[in-house]
Amino acid sequence: MAQRGDLGREAAPGPVRDLVRYRRAPHGAERTAHVGMAVFLGSWAMLFVALFFAYAFVRGRAPTWPPLDAPPLPRLLPGLNTLVIAASSAAVVRAVRAQELRRARSSAVALVGAAVLGAIFLTLQVAVWTDLWRQGLVPSGGPYPSVFYAFTAFHALHVLVGLVALAWLAFRARSAAHSIRTDVRLWGWYWHFVGVVWAALYVTLYLA
Amino acid sequence: MTPAQALMEEAQPIHPPPTSFWRKYVFSIDHKMIAKQFLWAGLLFLLVGGLLAMLIRWQWAFPYRPVPVLGKLLFGGTGAIGPATYQQIFTTHGLVMIFFAVTPVLIGTFGNLLIPLMIGARDMAFPRLNMYSFWTFVLSQLLVLASFFTDLGSAGAGWTTYAPLSTNVGTPGMGQTLIVAAVFVTGASSTMGAVNYITTVIRLRAPGMTYMRLPLTIWGIWLTAILNALFIPVLGSAALLLLLDRNFGTQFFVAGASAVNGGGDPILWQHLFWIFGHPEVYIMILPAWGILGDVLSFFARKPHHWYRGTVWAMVLVTVLSAMVYGHHMFMTGMSPLLGEGFMLFTLLISIPSMVVVVNWVLTVWQGSLRYDTPMLFALGTVFVFGVGGLTGLFLGDISMDLYLHDTMFVVGHFHFTMAAASVMGAFTGIYFWFPKMFGRRLDERLGKAHFWFTFLGLTLVFGGQLLAGYAGQQRRLFDPFQYTFIQGLRGLNQWTSYFAFALFAGQFFFVVNFFKSVFGRRAAPAGANPWQVTTLEWTATSSPPPFHNFDRIPEVVRGPHEFSNPEVRRLTGRDFAGQAELLPGGGEPAMAAGKS
Repeated sequence: MAQRGDLGREAAPGPVRDLVRYRRAPHGAERTAHVGMAVFLGSWAMLFVALFFAYAFVRGRAPTWPPLDAPPLPRLLPGLNTLVIAASSAAVVRAVRAQELRRARSSAVALVGAAVLGAIFLTLQVAVWTDLWRQGLVPSGGPYPSVFYAFTAFHALHVLVGLVALAWLAFRARSAAHSIRTDVRLWGWYWHFVGVVWAALYVTLYLA
Repeated sequence: MTPAQALMEEAQPIHPPPTSFWRKYVFSIDHKMIAKQFLWAGLLFLLVGGLLAMLIRWQWAFPYRPVPVLGKLLFGGTGAIGPATYQQIFTTHGLVMIFFAVTPVLIGTFGNLLIPLMIGARDMAFPRLNMYSFWTFVLSQLLVLASFFTDLGSAGAGWTTYAPLSTNVGTPGMGQTLIVAAVFVTGASSTMGAVNYITTVIRLRAPGMTYMRLPLTIWGIWLTAILNALFIPVLGSAALLLLLDRNFGTQFFVAGASAVNGGGDPILWQHLFWIFGHPEVYIMILPAWGILGDVLSFFARKPHHWYRGTVWAMVLVTVLSAMVYGHHMFMTGMSPLLGEGFMLFTLLISIPSMVVVVNWVLTVWQGSLRYDTPMLFALGTVFVFGVGGLTGLFLGDISMDLYLHDTMFVVGHFHFTMAAASVMGAFTGIYFWFPKMFGRRLDERLGKAHFWFTFLGLTLVFGGQLLAGYAGQQRRLFDPFQYTFIQGLRGLNQWTSYFAFALFAGQFFFVVNFFKSVFGRRAAPAGANPWQVTTLEWTATSSPPPFHNFDRIPEVVRGPHEFSNPEVRRLTGRDFAGQAELLPGGGEPAMAAGKS
């Protein structure tokens, strides 16, 4: 019985490691963690579903959307940001794969890359905010700016949390002493989740 | 040990119990200790909410008269309740009872205590998350307490926190902000709990514990957890937007003259609140339903009638509960077509609900009833839930609702379901599982006295409210009798209040009983299975269970209600068989004899 538990922690045979995609099936505790994370993300998604419901409601009631006196929202910079966060998600995918292959260094590098891209996302986001603020779009200006600032800020908060987590994972992933593949995988899910929410925000807030 | 058991043993190794005080009693990750913590926290706030209820009843019986004993202490001056204070009293009564008293007792306590014990696990799937969930909950309770000490007092916008009353326009004080924050934080706690409960039931059921062998209590709690996971975040986003409106100047909920530019929509709050709020009433009743399903069967010494029917009815109620929230908003000017859709689904819910209730009745039918305190509470719950459910039909119907909306009839209806049925369901659970939690028995005589005060008290108080509402008394009035058409109801209101005071006084039987049994030296040890029932927590471990729950993870061989089976009686001389019990002289020897 003991061996079964060790399966998940067992290193792939050295020479084979680079030639074969060596995937180890998740063991019991890992599966439990996967289920828990899936449940959590499903639950948390409802928070955003409710926010988008509120958005649709407010927008449906508004006589014009955007209001005539509101400055137009930029499209280029947020569009760029969409690419940045997509690239960051791709980096996390690389990190997860590197964990599976027990390549500690390349996993850490990918995680650092993802975190840096996340930081770039936030910087661009701040640039968008300050620009619009200078043009006179402030939260107290009615439902339109309320929705814009509340949603983007709440999303940015999620990015910030993910950013810190990815940096911490990168720090822990340097040595291959013990696998943190489940941690990387679950934070990866979270990161993709945040990316998907951004995509929905970009389409509904900036484009449509 | 079978291979399946070995797998579960390996996944859940036995850890040594913690020895330090902090790890054992305060920052504990043991689900049984966390259950007790939730019980204490919940019962404490049940007392707070109860006291607030007494103040409301005083106001409706004797407006402008000083409150005896507590009045001068609480309100200063003459000790009479002022209008603004009154607003805060009924607001915080509702919030405290729902989020900080009944929820922790029904879901926090029984969810934590029973899920691992009843499915045969050593602990929850995420024990540390469990600890975080409790301490987050404590933080939210502290926020509630803090709100009472702010400048303009606590929240005053009603428990539903309707905008624009709940925005800076209606309640500019810090107290309202703190309460909204507390609701958000307790929501986070509930979400953590829900993730834990759902995952634990999916992953850690003992070998042989199939979904259709789960005790109904676990079904109730599990479905509750699913509703919690789906809809508490909706409340979270509503609270979030309200906090933004209150503190950062956004305009989601303020409209008209109070808005700067265009403005938001107060009705948006109602949508968000009731998308959460209607599932919430099932969140509060489903655990009680589950407990009833098991306890009625246990004390009638009969298998639960049509177990699968009850399970699927509960699942159906869970699904339907998400599609009916609009019946709280018939008066908001919603499209009549939409209103009729909501009415249809609302009335449809009564079908699975009645399947559940009829199954209870048929479970008890022709049983060998044992009238211990838990059984009395269970039977009482069936009655009050029946009244609550039937009055719900009136309110679900649009044409009746136009008349009854915002009257005391609504108050009576939801108190019968959410207060009477949930609280009595919780007491059923407390009396039933107390021996398992503390290893001792509660006193039966005090318990029965407590039952009669509670059952009659709740029925009379909320029955009085139904009558007052049917006669046209509006809810939440500071002084109902300033309307001439309500003046004739003064006697009814006073009598309702007397019954309420008796109900409150009757709870001291429970307090005395509880403290005597928990701390008293003379309380007798309960033994592993004092009720002679079947589920794993009674038949596969001791009372109270050790830190690791089960010395060996049990292998479940039968459903949860194996009572009065003639074959079991022949083999064991008992009228019940544990879920993991192998009967003597049953399977193997007989087969061996057949072979030779």
